[in-house]
Amino acid sequence: MTAIRIQGLTKMFDGFTALSDIDLDVAPGEFVTLLGPSGCGKTTLLKVISGFLEPTKGKIFIEGSDVTAIPPERRDTALCFQSYALFPHLTVRQNLEFGLRQKKISRPHRDERVNDVSQKLDLAAQMDKLPNQLSGGQQQRVSLGRALVMRPKVILFDEPLSNLDAKLRDQVRIEIRRIQRDYGLTAIYVTHDQSEALAMSDRVVLLNGGRIEQVDTPETLYHRPRTRFAADFIGNSNVFTGQVLGEDSPGRWKIETPAGIFTCAFNGTPQSKEVALCWRPEHAVIGETGIEARVLNRAFQGHFTDLACAAGNGEFRVQALETTARDGDVIRVHVPPDRIRLLEDRP
Amino acid sequence: MTLCRWLTIVLLLFPGLGLILGLIGTVVWIAIAQSFGLYGLNGEDQFTLQYWAEVTDRRVFARSVRYSFYVGTVSAILSVALAYPLAIWLRKPFTGSMTISAILKAPMLVHGLVAAFLFINVIAYHGILNQAMQALGLWDEPRRMQNDSNAVGVLILQIWKNMPFALLLLTGAVQGISDDVLDAARDLGAGAWDRFRKVIAPLSISAMQAAMVIIFIGAMADFSFQVIAGPTNRQSMSQLMVFFKDRGDWHSAAVVGVTLMGLALLGAYALAFLARLVMEGRSR
Repeated sequence: MTAIRIQGLTKMFDGFTALSDIDLDVAPGEFVTLLGPSGCGKTTLLKVISGFLEPTKGKIFIEGSDVTAIPPERRDTALCFQSYALFPHLTVRQNLEFGLRQKKISRPHRDERVNDVSQKLDLAAQMDKLPNQLSGGQQQRVSLGRALVMRPKVILFDEPLSNLDAKLRDQVRIEIRRIQRDYGLTAIYVTHDQSEALAMSDRVVLLNGGRIEQVDTPETLYHRPRTRFAADFIGNSNVFTGQVLGEDSPGRWKIETPAGIFTCAFNGTPQSKEVALCWRPEHAVIGETGIEARVLNRAFQGHFTDLACAAGNGEFRVQALETTARDGDVIRVHVPPDRIRLLEDRP
Repeated sequence: MTLCRWLTIVLLLFPGLGLILGLIGTVVWIAIAQSFGLYGLNGEDQFTLQYWAEVTDRRVFARSVRYSFYVGTVSAILSVALAYPLAIWLRKPFTGSMTISAILKAPMLVHGLVAAFLFINVIAYHGILNQAMQALGLWDEPRRMQNDSNAVGVLILQIWKNMPFALLLLTGAVQGISDDVLDAARDLGAGAWDRFRKVIAPLSISAMQAAMVIIFIGAMADFSFQVIAGPTNRQSMSQLMVFFKDRGDWHSAAVVGVTLMGLALLGAYALAFLARLVMEGRSR
């Protein structure tokens, strides 16, 4: 059984389509991230799942039950807000107990759940404090704890780390994942930060303009982007439009691009003569063979050096772990065929 | 703290505190002194408890205290109770919300005396309401509603006049509550009523207390609505005070005045305290 099933979901606002024909299945205990640029519909999708927005079309099932028309207060989901949304007039303990009191959980059970979560989240010393007496990280933990004590079927996160500083973000990111695993929760996590999505998720749902662009594991999404958008949005990518020249050897296709001729590993036949291809800057190898390119700009980034290069009528980036190439130098760049990916969308 | 800093603070507070202490303090002092026989306008000037003993001994005094307290309390509670749902409704802007808000606040611009006369004209024996009800066939004959003995007319006027003020204060407070906090309450299982009593009310309690206190004090000391639309068989404390003053008995009038001030202060404090107690209890 799937934990969440979204079927043909569309959401429109005054003629504007925020979500279009979304289909998604989430397995129990899975951590799925909704990733995409601002305005792509990821928060809208989260609000539809949590019940704060009603879909224009389509259905949502949680553990097999149709919850499309069920209001958020009666839906077995818990949402962690970007702003934490703690009740400012209640202490940490009262914040954690709020939902349990609403559900009329008996006092012993309430205490047991609250104490368990407060210890797991290291909040035991803060229980009598008001939210404004806590740091950002502590507030985030209370927000998370308030959702966890409910033991929901599904836990939803709306960019929960965006208000934290970089160091704390890493720490809380690990905590969220650990707790999600410990409790075996099904989680849907919204972020626009690709590194967060890649680091935390079992699967990533990449959204673009209200549509699902690609749903895959972080590794597949990174190494095998299906579209130009996916290649561009996740990490750095060199994307070219090219003409298929023909099959060089079985499964090896020669493609002419403005930057030169690349050999691409592809089983089958390209859909058209004109194709789009991409490769990651870190997969390029600087050596004796390959395309001749001039270094336009060298930028040392610490653990790698970023080279902006020009070859033929095209430009691309190369990331090398060690290189002595300077601005104006001519280098040879080779990209292994299995690192070049043919994209599905038309150029 | 240095002397210079103290002086700066005193000077900064002076325009506000100076006025309160200087003008209001003088009036309060004169009223208290007059209630004990001092500062007599007729020339007599002797400390005595005679006026307090005489006035508090009269049944009309006890009745006026009860009546004024009733009008003040009911007006404050009902004005706030009516303003709350409107404030929540108008919390988020929508098409026409500005116009609705402006119309609701219009009574603040109408003077109390004018409102009272308009109201009397509407509910008079041959007034618009009676005519309308008869024309609609709902009433066979006109009904007497003017100066009713339960002070319903006065309460309607008080609420009509004071509700916009409560709305003004509550709208600001309710608008200050973030959508996320209300959504969080909803997500945790709180329905509309629970969201109100556990989140909105506790977070807007200061505005509610301020509205209740100010309305209570104003309604308890009301004179104009009472004189025109109030019951003829009861007197408010302000009416009783004017009654004594008109007889030239300034000392007895001062006794009523001081009692009114004291009760207004105590009542306002009690209402504010009660509101906080109830809301804090409910928010848990």
